[in-house]
Formats: sequence, C-alpha cells, structure tokens
Amino acid sequence: MPAHNEPAPPRRPVRAIGTAAAVSPRIADEFFYMAHDDQTGRPRLFDTALASGLAAALLVELYYERRITFEHGKVEVLQRLPPKDWLQHLVLDQLIAQPQHTDTRTWLAFLATTAYEQVATRMWQVGLLQQQQIGRLWRQRTVYVPTDINTAAWSWARLSQQVRNYRQLDHFDIALAGLTLHTQLDTALLDGAPYSAHAHLRQLVNQSWLPLRDLLADLSSVIGAGVLSHRTS
Amino acid sequence: MPRSKPDTVTAVLARGRLGIPSVVFFVIAAAAPLTVIAGGATTGYAVTGVTGIPVSYLVVAAVLAMFAVGYVAMSRRIVNAGAFYTYVTHGLGRPAGVAAAMVALLAYNAMQIGLYGGFGAVLAQFLQSRYGWDTTWWLCALAAWAVVAVLGLLRIDLNGKVLAVMLVAECAVALVFDAVMLGHPASGTVAFDTLAPSHIFAAGIGAALVTAITGFVGFEGTVVFSEETKDPRRTVPRATYIAVVLTGLLYGLSAWAMSVATGPDSIVDAARADGTDLIFNLVSPHLGTSVVTIGRILFITSLFAALLSFHHTVARYLFALGRERVLPAALGRTSRRTGAPKIGSIIQSVVAVVVLVGYAAANADPIVHLFFWVTVTGGLGVLVLMTVTSAAVVSFFARIRHGEGPWRAVVAPLIATIALTAILLVTLDEFDTLLGVHPHSPLRWLFPAAYAIVALIGATWALILRAAKPDVYNAIGLGPESATASLRSPTTVRQPA
Repeated sequence: MPAHNEPAPPRRPVRAIGTAAAVSPRIADEFFYMAHDDQTGRPRLFDTALASGLAAALLVELYYERRITFEHGKVEVLQRLPPKDWLQHLVLDQLIAQPQHTDTRTWLAFLATTAYEQVATRMWQVGLLQQQQIGRLWRQRTVYVPTDINTAAWSWARLSQQVRNYRQLDHFDIALAGLTLHTQLDTALLDGAPYSAHAHLRQLVNQSWLPLRDLLADLSSVIGAGVLSHRTS
Repeated sequence: MPRSKPDTVTAVLARGRLGIPSVVFFVIAAAAPLTVIAGGATTGYAVTGVTGIPVSYLVVAAVLAMFAVGYVAMSRRIVNAGAFYTYVTHGLGRPAGVAAAMVALLAYNAMQIGLYGGFGAVLAQFLQSRYGWDTTWWLCALAAWAVVAVLGLLRIDLNGKVLAVMLVAECAVALVFDAVMLGHPASGTVAFDTLAPSHIFAAGIGAALVTAITGFVGFEGTVVFSEETKDPRRTVPRATYIAVVLTGLLYGLSAWAMSVATGPDSIVDAARADGTDLIFNLVSPHLGTSVVTIGRILFITSLFAALLSFHHTVARYLFALGRERVLPAALGRTSRRTGAPKIGSIIQSVVAVVVLVGYAAANADPIVHLFFWVTVTGGLGVLVLMTVTSAAVVSFFARIRHGEGPWRAVVAPLIATIALTAILLVTLDEFDTLLGVHPHSPLRWLFPAAYAIVALIGATWALILRAAKPDVYNAIGLGPESATASLRSPTTVRQPA
C-alpha cells in the first residue's frame, strides 16, 4: 500500500533553495531528459509523441506559473505578467497575441512544431545539454547530448522509484508523471514493474488537478490522432 | 473575417498540409488501379461469367459519388471521421456502431488477406515466365507477408511521391493498353455490347456490381486526411469525387476495352483461359516486350501497395477501438520508438499468416479461392458498411441543426441508401454466381453469414458495455478523442471546419 506519511526523499541536487530561477528545474527540461537516453541523447519516443509532449510541458510550466489554465479543451490566459524565463515568456506572448485560437489541441499542434528546438536551446544555454555533430559528411546533423549523466538520469530514476514504491508525488513530479503516462513513455519507465505500479501511476495522474488532466486528455488525443493519420513523408 | 494581425498559428499549421492531388494519390493508390483492372475485372469475368462488368464499374461509380455527397458533409462534423463505424454510431446509435466496427474489421482483413493470393500467384508466375524460377504462390505470398509485417511494425507506408509516380505510371500503362485493345477489336469493329445499360437488369448483375464495389474500396479514406488538408471544406469533397470519377472511368474503360479486344461473346471464355494474364496477352502482340513487362511489374507493385495500405487500415482500426476501450486497452498503445499501433499490426499479421498457411495446406487456388472469393467477400462487407453508413448520414442530419442544403443532407444520401441497399440485396441473392459455385452450396451463405455473426457479437458487446462500463459505452465512436470523454461531455458534433 502507498506509504503516504513517509518523508519525501531529497530533491534533485541541482536545486538549491534561494538560487536564481535559471537553475531551478523546469518541467519541459526534465521531460526532455526523460524522453531521451541519458548517455547517448537518443530519443526514447517517436516524433509526434516527443514534440507534442514537449509542447504540453511548456503549457504546464505556464499553468504552474499561474499564467494560464485549461478548461473544456480551451486554454485561458489568467495573467499577462511575463514570467522570468524567456521561453515561458515567448509562449505566453504567443498565446496573448493570438486570442482567436483557444483550443488546447490547436496550441499543442502549433507549439509542437518548435518545442523541440526551443527546449533544447534553453537547456543548452544553461549548460544542461551540449551539441554534438554526428553522422558522415553528407548526412551531418547536430544532436543534443546531456552534459551530465547524473543530472539527466535523475528525474527518470526518481519518478521510477517513487512510483514503484507507491509513494505520493509532489506537484512537479505529478506533471512529469502525467506527461510520461500520456506520451506512453510509462512502459519504459516502469519496465518490469508489477501491474499495480502502472495502476498507481494512473491513479496519481487521474487524481491530479482538473486543468492538468484537461490538458493531458488533449495531449493524448493529439498523439492518437497523429497515429491514425500518419503517413511516411 | 479580415484580421489586421497576421495569424501565425494558422500559417504555421498550414505548412505541409495536403492539397487535392496528394489526397487523390493516397486513396487511389490504396485502391490500386492495375490490381483492379488486371486482377479484379478479369477474374470477375471468369468467375461470375457475367459480361456486364464494364457497365457495373460505371454504375457503381455513380452510386458511390452519390454516397460521397452526404458522407463528406458529415465527415466535417464528427471526430474520428476516418472510420465508418463512427458515422454509424452518431447516426444509428452505439450498438449499431460497434456492430459496424466488427464488420469493418472483418471486411478490411478479408480485403488484405485476399490480396496475398493475387500477389503470390502473379509474382510466382512472373518469376517463372521471366527468369524461369520455380516457386510456389504461397512462398511469394509469405515473402510479401514478411515485408508487410515488418513495415507495419516500423509504421512505414509508401511515401507520397513514390505513390504518385506509381499511380501515374499505372494509369499511363492502363491507358496505353486500352488504346491498343480498342485499336485491335476482335471482329474488326468496336462493339459497345458490354456497356449496354440493359446489363443492369440481367441475371448475375449483383455479382458484377459487388466485384465493381470491391475495386473502389479505399476511396473512403479521403476523410482520414480532413484535419490535414489545406482547406477541409473543399479539399476532401473534391478529392473524393475526383477519386471516384477517375477510377470509375478508368475501370469501366479498361474492362470494356478487354471485351472489345476479345469480342463481347468470348470475353468470359478468354478470361477463364488466361486469368490475370488476359490483359497482358491481349496487348503483347501489338506492343514491345518492355512495355508489357513494365505493366506486369506495376501490377505486382500495385498489389503490394494495396496490401500494405489495408494492413495499416486494419491496425489503425484496432488502435482506435483500443483507445476507446471497446477492445482491450492494450490495442490502444503504440510502439514507443516508432509510434506504430504495435499490437493491432501484429494481430493482423498473425491472422493473415494463419489464413495463408491454411490455403497453402489445403492446396486451394490462390486466384479464385483466395484472391477473388476473399476480396469480394471483403467488398461485400464494405458494401454493407457503406449502406449502413449512408442510412446513418440521413439519420444524423435529420437529428441535428445544420446549414447544409436538402441535397447534401437528405436527397443524395437517401438515393445512395436505396441504391446501395438494392445492390446489397441483389448481391446476396446472387452470391452463388459471384463465387461461381452451385446454387445450393453452403458457401454462398457461409461468407455473408460471417458478417451477420460478427455484427451480432458487436451489438451484444455494446449492450454489455452499456450495463457494465457506462464510461466506455459513452466514448464509443470517439477513437483517440475518447481520452477527453471522462472530463467533459465530448464534442462529438463539431462545427464544420
């Protein structure tokens, strides 16, 4: 049974109370780490799921900053005050500038077109990722590789352990758990875990805040629709 | 409504959207024109013994164009518009919807598996005649099966550009063949006998009509792309009409041209003697070997494109039903790395290989017993689906408030429903002709009965769900959108785009 009253394990080491916002963990960054191999930087998810998941993560960041909320499949801007983080600021500006679009699905699709590059750039700027050139001359491309394996693997290991031990999650990890579940990354996260661990994860997410669940439902249907209408381009 | 600020969201999302040509290429390539002309039409002549095949293609094209009017109008108003059962759910209720879903699964599986017979036989014959390799049809079919199974799991379908090139080449070859056949009529004059409308009232026409319907299966896929087109209001309807008219004319012309080249009286005997080689044998005295060889290769590639396309269709149907939890939720999961509907794809491949091994063990004829019998049975299932869907369109528009004119909402769907029902009844009445079996053979009832049984299972399952899992029952027909059903009353009816 879940041990609700146990003390929470220590938080991730990069975070120190009172430090500048630049080093406090951000959901999209952590989801980026979780969705990639901590050593090679290879994606653990297929394109649509990764891009839509990162888009949803950016929206969750703004939700946690109390700038926006989600209701009945619509995004609503609550507060126009710009957040400190440049990417959050950018996304909020886009939401404000295009008030004629309110469907969460539309915004997920729109943000998904740029989310990968934006999140990777933000992480690269603070030294969480480094760029690497791979491939032969004619097929050279840049990939992002974590600078520190431990930092990269921390969210994955923490979430996996917490869920496998039937613990409760803090609000940061609930968001990560929701993104993991709805991008179907949970099969890898809980690989080999008993069915009850999967059920615990679903229960945690299903009991979270209504706006978050509203966003996650749209994330799920965007990814599902992408599977149905997929074609090799 | 003009806006002063540029709409970046719309502009960004419009990038890479599909235009009319792309949608037409996708769906006609799935219908595989050369497969229908060289395989379906010739085997249709041979097995049914009916000479009215060409006029049947034209009649069916007209009926399907009528069907498409209401179908595309409704597609803009419902979520998960790619699947027939969604229309049935919204128009005729959830038990009917699940019944339709089961019929669709059986029908598309039949289409796909039947095509293996055609592919195997045609490839084996090609390898034998051109390279002298001795293979068997089932060896070739199993090779294709292995490739399809792998591509299915990797979620690879044929690239739009490849499909476009193949399709244009197929149509060009078909038109060249038609011109040659019309230029060398059997009796010296071009006879129009097989195009006579009187065939529609002749004996055996049901068999010819369902053969024709089978050739069009795949055109209904245009609506899958409705959310990805530049202008859903125009692109999808036009692409659908273009696809139906183009294929209808091409099929009708080619089937007629064959009858001109052999003479209308001997087309059935010629088709029985030559089988799927008929069209190539008719043109080869008048054309260079290389053109005929290209035609044969394109016939094989078109069969493969259709195989792969129907495999994906089945896997996605299973995925959508798994997402709704009408079928086990595991079907609604995708492969993490590739995003393929993994379990659905595996199930389809397993069913196919079991049937193939069964046919190989029973030493049945791959063209008549597998390709023709099983694909026309698939065609019959799709005919059932289209009939029910058409009725659902009428019922849907009768119950909602909408801005469509009476032609799209009532008249066209009603005419289509009546015409499709008539075709369905004649087909069932003449199923023995279609299979080419004795009128008292149990087989004539066995194939249609399979649909009745799965439909009954589907409807019963829906009623069980209503009692046991009301949340699942409420999400029927929503496909991936069912994730939102528990949070909000889902927008099953959306504003037309």
